[in-house]
Amino acid sequence: MLMPRKIKHRKHHRGRMTGISKGGNELAFGEFGIQALEPGWLSARQIEAARVAMTRHIKRGGKVWINIYPDKPVTKKPAETRMGSGKGNPEFWVAVVKPGRILFELSYPSEDVARKALDRAVQKLPIKARVVSRHDPI
Amino acid sequence: MSNTTVLNAVTGRATGSAVARRLRTKDSIPAVLYGHGMKALTISVDRRELRLALSGPAGVNTILQLSVDGNTYPAIVKELQRHPVRRNVSHIDFLQINMSEEITVSVPVRLEGIAKAVVAEGGLVDAAVDSIELRTTPLNLPNEIVIDISDMHPHDVIHLSDIALPAGVVAVGDADLVIVTVLVLRGEATVVAAVAADGADPAAVATPADGASS
Repeated sequence: MLMPRKIKHRKHHRGRMTGISKGGNELAFGEFGIQALEPGWLSARQIEAARVAMTRHIKRGGKVWINIYPDKPVTKKPAETRMGSGKGNPEFWVAVVKPGRILFELSYPSEDVARKALDRAVQKLPIKARVVSRHDPI
Repeated sequence: MSNTTVLNAVTGRATGSAVARRLRTKDSIPAVLYGHGMKALTISVDRRELRLALSGPAGVNTILQLSVDGNTYPAIVKELQRHPVRRNVSHIDFLQINMSEEITVSVPVRLEGIAKAVVAEGGLVDAAVDSIELRTTPLNLPNEIVIDISDMHPHDVIHLSDIALPAGVVAVGDADLVIVTVLVLRGEATVVAAVAADGADPAAVATPADGASS
């Protein structure tokens, strides 16, 4: 799974996810991609699950780009613990995503197979997302 | 070759984001026309008409005859802004052109054929760029550059200098620019973490606490 090797602060604030994505809204590498339509946190596990779903479907002969990186630690308090005593322990890593962000990109010779692979990947994500293509009409 | 299409535009729109927003709700797209020493004109075009005009074989490189207040300006789309989520066009820059003068335009690249030698090895023909910059007169502008990949073998590379261009068309940029490469893959599809954080190791598997330093 993706995670930073070295970080400046162990625990982050949760932050806000208002507005739309400021950058990374266009396909930069591949012919097809997945675009987020909602804000949300995508955990490293979810990103990995989407990647596996995609690569298993296309098997060989494709190239996948992961445009997001889970660099935000999320903490959790242990079960049955009383409130207080400070912030919980870091448990997993998430990527903060806003609407419009291209999450994954894919190059594959067959459009049908590429779209099906991306549709499978979308099913693994906790937010609404859609498949976009360079050839989308104006 | 690029088609020429007539597109009607209306002048006299006020500027500003609020006015532009109101225009968009009425299915008009705010635009601006400039180039060739003319004073920039703030105009608006009908969304449906624009879609039809740019849906020809040349796509966004269609040469337009922009009809503004009785005058006709030959123009191309210089920049097309889209809403990041809705994907619809929010603003257009039109550039007035001289039909006999050379212009630099980005033309899409299309790969044709199946590289059987590459497929047999489990490889992938990968277009390193999706468009190339060409310098030519508007009348000679090709709709797309078609590259035949059926004779490609593993580890072959097609450079910008290898591409056969129509007469009167010159490619802009480094002659050694890689246009098409062949990737020889082992196992599953190649995965590239395009945006990696500083010091990130995509292969590392550990709990957040392990990698954390206070």
